[in-house]
Amino acid sequence: MVVKVSNLVKRYGDLIALDHLSFSIKEGEIFGLLGPNGSGKTTAINCILALLKYDKGEIEVFGEPMTPESYHIKQDIGIVMQNVAVYNELTVYENIDYFCGLYIKDKALKKKYVEEAIEFVDLGEYRNFRPKKLSGGLLRRLNIACGIAHKPKLIILDEPTVAVDPQSRNRILEGIKELNSNGATVIYTSHYMEEVEQICSRIMIIDKGKAIATGTKEELKAMISLGEKITVESYDVSEQQLARLRELPNIVSVEYNEPLIVIKSSKGKNNLENVLEFIKKENIQFGKIYSELPTLNDVFLEITGKELRD
Amino acid sequence: MFVHIFANRLRCLLRDRETMFWTFMFPLALALFFYMSLSNVGKGEAFQEIDVAVVNDSWYQENQFFRTALEEASRGDDRLFNLTLATGEEARKLLDDGKIKGYIIAGDPPQLIVNESGIYQSIIKSFLDNYTQTFRAVEKVLENDPRIYQEVFDSLGNRKNYVKEAPAAGGKPDNLVYYFYTLIAMACMYGSFFGMREATDIQADITPLAARINIAPVHKLKAFLSSTCAALLIHLSEMMILLAFIRYVLNIDFGPRAGYVLLTTVIGSITGVFFGAFVSAVVKKSEGIKVGILIGVTMIGSCLAGMMYIDMKYIILSKNLPFLYWTNPVNLLSDAFYCLYYFDNLNRYALNIGALSCITVLFCALTYLFIRRRKYASL
Amino acid sequence: MQVYKLCLKIIKKNIPVMLIYIFIYLSVSIVVTLSSSRQNNTGNDFTDTKANIAFISGEETPLIEGLRKELGRQANFINLPDKKEAQQDALFFREVVYILRIPEGFTQKFMAGEEVHLEKNSVPDSAKAAYIDLAVDQYLNTARFFLSTMGDVTQESLVKYLDDVLSQEADVKLMPAPAKTDVYGLVFSYNYMAYSLSSILVLGMAAIMAAFNNRDLRNRVSCSPVRETAANLQIFLASLTFAGVAWLTQIAFCFFFDIENVLTMNTVYLLLNSLVFTVCGTAMGFLIGSVVKGNEAISAVTNVVVLGSCFISGVFVPAQLLGETTLRIASFTPTYWFVKANNQAAQLTQFDLSSVRLVLSDTAVIVCFALAFFALSLVIRKVRRFS
Repeated sequence: MVVKVSNLVKRYGDLIALDHLSFSIKEGEIFGLLGPNGSGKTTAINCILALLKYDKGEIEVFGEPMTPESYHIKQDIGIVMQNVAVYNELTVYENIDYFCGLYIKDKALKKKYVEEAIEFVDLGEYRNFRPKKLSGGLLRRLNIACGIAHKPKLIILDEPTVAVDPQSRNRILEGIKELNSNGATVIYTSHYMEEVEQICSRIMIIDKGKAIATGTKEELKAMISLGEKITVESYDVSEQQLARLRELPNIVSVEYNEPLIVIKSSKGKNNLENVLEFIKKENIQFGKIYSELPTLNDVFLEITGKELRD
Repeated sequence: MFVHIFANRLRCLLRDRETMFWTFMFPLALALFFYMSLSNVGKGEAFQEIDVAVVNDSWYQENQFFRTALEEASRGDDRLFNLTLATGEEARKLLDDGKIKGYIIAGDPPQLIVNESGIYQSIIKSFLDNYTQTFRAVEKVLENDPRIYQEVFDSLGNRKNYVKEAPAAGGKPDNLVYYFYTLIAMACMYGSFFGMREATDIQADITPLAARINIAPVHKLKAFLSSTCAALLIHLSEMMILLAFIRYVLNIDFGPRAGYVLLTTVIGSITGVFFGAFVSAVVKKSEGIKVGILIGVTMIGSCLAGMMYIDMKYIILSKNLPFLYWTNPVNLLSDAFYCLYYFDNLNRYALNIGALSCITVLFCALTYLFIRRRKYASL
Repeated sequence: MQVYKLCLKIIKKNIPVMLIYIFIYLSVSIVVTLSSSRQNNTGNDFTDTKANIAFISGEETPLIEGLRKELGRQANFINLPDKKEAQQDALFFREVVYILRIPEGFTQKFMAGEEVHLEKNSVPDSAKAAYIDLAVDQYLNTARFFLSTMGDVTQESLVKYLDDVLSQEADVKLMPAPAKTDVYGLVFSYNYMAYSLSSILVLGMAAIMAAFNNRDLRNRVSCSPVRETAANLQIFLASLTFAGVAWLTQIAFCFFFDIENVLTMNTVYLLLNSLVFTVCGTAMGFLIGSVVKGNEAISAVTNVVVLGSCFISGVFVPAQLLGETTLRIASFTPTYWFVKANNQAAQLTQFDLSSVRLVLSDTAVIVCFALAFFALSLVIRKVRRFS
């Protein structure tokens, strides 16, 4: 186990930020921590890093309890924090060099690592820029480079893509996969389900400080009853027709907000076919029709009764 | 590790233009302004030969004693007067035009015409008083015994200076230098801007950058001390340049004990840096408020130390307001420089430095207590 | 009027910082007003200047008592603690300018005709020290004169002779002064405006300018249906409002500190002068706001420019005490002409054209400065816009 968290409780006054949170991360995983804003993702990370006091629970990193003095553990952790933490007075190169130098004493090795990190985030042409001159996406990339330059075994990325343009975001995600394939274990927090779905090998969904589901994305989706969501655009459908639609096999719910009919069905075969047949039979005029498989948002929605993003 | 953090911190701070301006350029500019506006003020106090006219009438021409006395007083390097002979009308015109302080009409008693009361006018009058008084004294003696005419005149020619300047025990009482001492003291306290940055950048609950450093495998106090050393080095260098500028370019006297002057500056610089660290560690408010506190405390301290108005300092000193005296680092520093310049012994200097060291140690200790924390209740 | 309102909002945000300058203005003005009213002697008779001295005697004899009494005409005696350091402090900070020490046994030796002398600590080469020297020497020389010429005299009769002779005084006539040369305290509250008011004006103007120099904001305003001339006009009006309010506030304080002269003609010229200076300060703020970017830089430049010009132009230290070189440098700042015009306006006793012209010509120089600042900032803005 790279990280083992058991029964972690953190209170801010009356507010319970983490409620008996337990999870463990195996070597080589990209572990996704998915939850809405304020669900306790960053709090959990800060507890793992021994920055925050917590009320109860145990945290082990690399098989040892984590304390502020566990310098040999910290040595192998790379952290990319939610807020960009770089020195405004130092250039891109100097910033990476500084943070790398906190871990790597050998000068030649440090130099090599810094160059590799710059290469990795593709900031070569900006190496002499001060952070103020960088756009949001470039700044995030610098932040990442500062976190991973020393080639840590465990990389923690806390919402590294907030306010980042799509190109930069894809680069960052690709980069994380690359780091993982080079042997690093990754903890990735986000409230973007697409990102988590795209890169994580295992995902924990948390809400209000509680873990509500853990597993691969397939496992998570398998947990819920929803199998398929079919949306039909139509201006011409009666209540009776909708009622009959609901009686089709496997259909879980049918909602009509003119002009969209949203039909949710449970797992099973031929769901779309049945619906199409029904429409034909009832002679309902329709424009578009499309079918989606469930997303993590649907998982979240079904478990908590609310949307992941509000 | 020390070198790595130290070197990078140096680079950071040197590029922080705002802090560099307030800690370095601003005191230098103020020193120059002080110099430009104060360098002549001392001359207002210094004695300058008094421009005087005397009405050249027959009385003046005939009265040889009076003429000799006036001419004597207008001769030589240490003369009292620059004497002009004039007619009554000319003299009046000279007075109106401000060319002379007053004019004299010989007579018994002699008359002085001036257009305001002032020290120079009073000196002219004293001189005339003295002449009349001496004349009266001679009359009195001769009345008593007219035969000793010769002795009288021998004795008269034998005027002595009875007052001697006591051997100076230290510097001249030239109080303009004090303004520069308060300025240096203020600049020392501006080191707090550096200290504030250091303490801010190490407390994880204040900035993300500090949180980031807390996660690195570096002992927190070691990181803090390494970067504070960089801050101290920069501030001290700034202070040395300021000191050299004031001493060698503006030619302000610091007394004979250069070593102690340097020591005082070093201690002052440390006090300033840790004052900032202390405020930053203790006050859990926004950076704007912290800067406000630093500037406010420093300015009020400078004001009470007499930077804006030198009497303020003396009132506190002489009226024995020990609290305002001993708790104000700006005052302790300025007073230390003053003691080095002005007194021949180091007793009061030692007291000042002792108190200052206590304050500094207190700042250090409190800063340590606040920043040693490793884990935070909230971030 | 959206732009106008925005400008005023920006100004409002800066009020706390401006209050600092008002606070400094008020506290310094109070101190100066109090201390200058203490020194004012406006009588029609000549009064002897009195120097503050410490008279420390190791013995008490009639001769010494006589000296003390005689010195009372030229000196105020200040009691100092019997500690050398405290006495030195008193001299340094000018509580006294002269410390006279009479050694024990002085009288005896003096009466015996031996070589003796007194000790002093004084502000070297100062006029007041010379003044006291003169008085002490006169007393002792006259005493010695009596001793050497009158044979046996007792101390008591000697003092009586001295008392008699030294009561002689010259006759001094005080002519009405054609002009008051020391108007420092009189117009201080107006002169000090050069510091507080220009700091406030530069700060406020620079804040408005900085806001509109922000490229995004400027582009956003250009995209709105407000015409650029209209927007500029609104900025101009807002600046005018701001400058006007600042001026009125400042003038109110000036009136407060100079209450007895409010209804004189001199005040009219002082007001005119300060109004012109306000315009000039606004133009200077406009210039700084056009040249300097960033709030921190603006506060740095403001402090140096305003403090500097005040130091060298005679706002903090009376102009007559400044060196010639300093004043020559100062004459390149509007502050110098403002102070000069104020000092002259305060001295005016006649208000015919030739007397007033002196004041007005200085005021005209300030107008030129204002125009120059304004023109320069327009040029800079134009150049910047196309780059």
